[in-house]
Amino acid sequence: MKAAILSGKGGTGKTTVSTHLAALFPDALYVDMDVEEPNGDLFLNPEWNDRIPVSVIYPEIDNDKCTHCRNCAAFCRFNALIAGKALTISMKEICHGCGGCALVCPSDAIRYRERIIGYVSRGITRFGSPIISGKMDVGEFSGVPLIDRIRTMDRTEALQIIDSPPGTSCTTVAAVEGCDLAVIVTEPTPFALSDMKRTVEMLRTMKLPFAVVINKAGMGDRGVYDYCRDESIDILGEIPFSLELAGAYATGVMLDSVSPQLQKEYRKIMDGMKRKAGMPGVAV
Amino acid sequence: MIVALCSTGFDDQAELDSRFGRCSHFLFFDTDQRTFKTVSNSAKDASGGAGAQAVQILVNFGTGVLIAPDVGPQAMDALQAMNISVFRQGSITLPDKAIKAWENHRLEEQQKASVAGMHRA
Ligand code: SF4
Ligand code: SF4
Repeated sequence: MKAAILSGKGGTGKTTVSTHLAALFPDALYVDMDVEEPNGDLFLNPEWNDRIPVSVIYPEIDNDKCTHCRNCAAFCRFNALIAGKALTISMKEICHGCGGCALVCPSDAIRYRERIIGYVSRGITRFGSPIISGKMDVGEFSGVPLIDRIRTMDRTEALQIIDSPPGTSCTTVAAVEGCDLAVIVTEPTPFALSDMKRTVEMLRTMKLPFAVVINKAGMGDRGVYDYCRDESIDILGEIPFSLELAGAYATGVMLDSVSPQLQKEYRKIMDGMKRKAGMPGVAV
Repeated sequence: MIVALCSTGFDDQAELDSRFGRCSHFLFFDTDQRTFKTVSNSAKDASGGAGAQAVQILVNFGTGVLIAPDVGPQAMDALQAMNISVFRQGSITLPDKAIKAWENHRLEEQQKASVAGMHRA
């Protein structure tokens, strides 16, 4: 089972839930696809065995050869080329590396170069479980090539926890694609609810089964609960708000002493996830 | 010289837009003819690269100066490469006021970002 853990926005506890599941179910492969801000490793403290650079291509224009016909700019659907009367330029951060512009250039003025946009690392967490983590370099535009790279990696683990990018961006869609189910981590606040509605819409468009985990239960209001009831969305579990947990999160020791009640709640969540994906549940 | 402005409407009296790449219309002022021309910004609904596409529109209209709200670093690189100077509209809300301020050298030129993003052989 590949389970995407996501949230409407950052900071609702997506990493808290993903890393707890990874720590409590060490058979599971934990995949950090939140490539802009991967932080699962802060809690799982892995030893890395492999660090693979991920690169993309971008065009370089030889303006001595360029006849300023504008073919390339008209062709690029990402608007990564700007063709003026005397100068044609490419914007490497916007380029998606499709390689098409050189094909439409009549003057052989376009060459491609490669640049590294981040790294994918593979290792073993301190709980003995496998981890893969993608990290995009600061200032890059799209994390999709990193996610694509992770998706081509050999992943044979029966259980995979995919810590996905927040929101409903291209990277979120890329991370969630191919998963068996999604778990939205949300908070019982009006802000979290409105962000969550967009995520629900995205998942419904993608026709992916999904359910909700409520983090910081006990604070906020009943809005998220009412919404889930009206929309028939299952709530798999609730992580109670605790100052202790917040402090442990801040210092990175969150997974060191998970209370028996909390362990039970996470087993309940895993049980619900497996059943949602049409698999036998786990003992709670 | 063509001066481009970011407008909220087709009318040359419409207020200035507070966005560059996704502004509603571009207003082009010809300093020789003292006339305005407006086009709707086809870049505003681009899923990505709106700033770059907006720069292409400015280039197509032969823009030499852009008066705009804050411009992102990528678009700024492109504007610089295309030799378009950029001035901050600041709190000015009407096009003719912005042009007058620019002509009287009262607008601040936007910081040129690094040229590291550009690839010109
Ligand atoms: S490689 Fe593709 S995406 Fe990149 S500039 Fe050329 S046409 Fe655009
Ligand atoms: S297609 Fe080639 S010749 Fe035409 S503008 Fe682009 S780089 Fe220049």
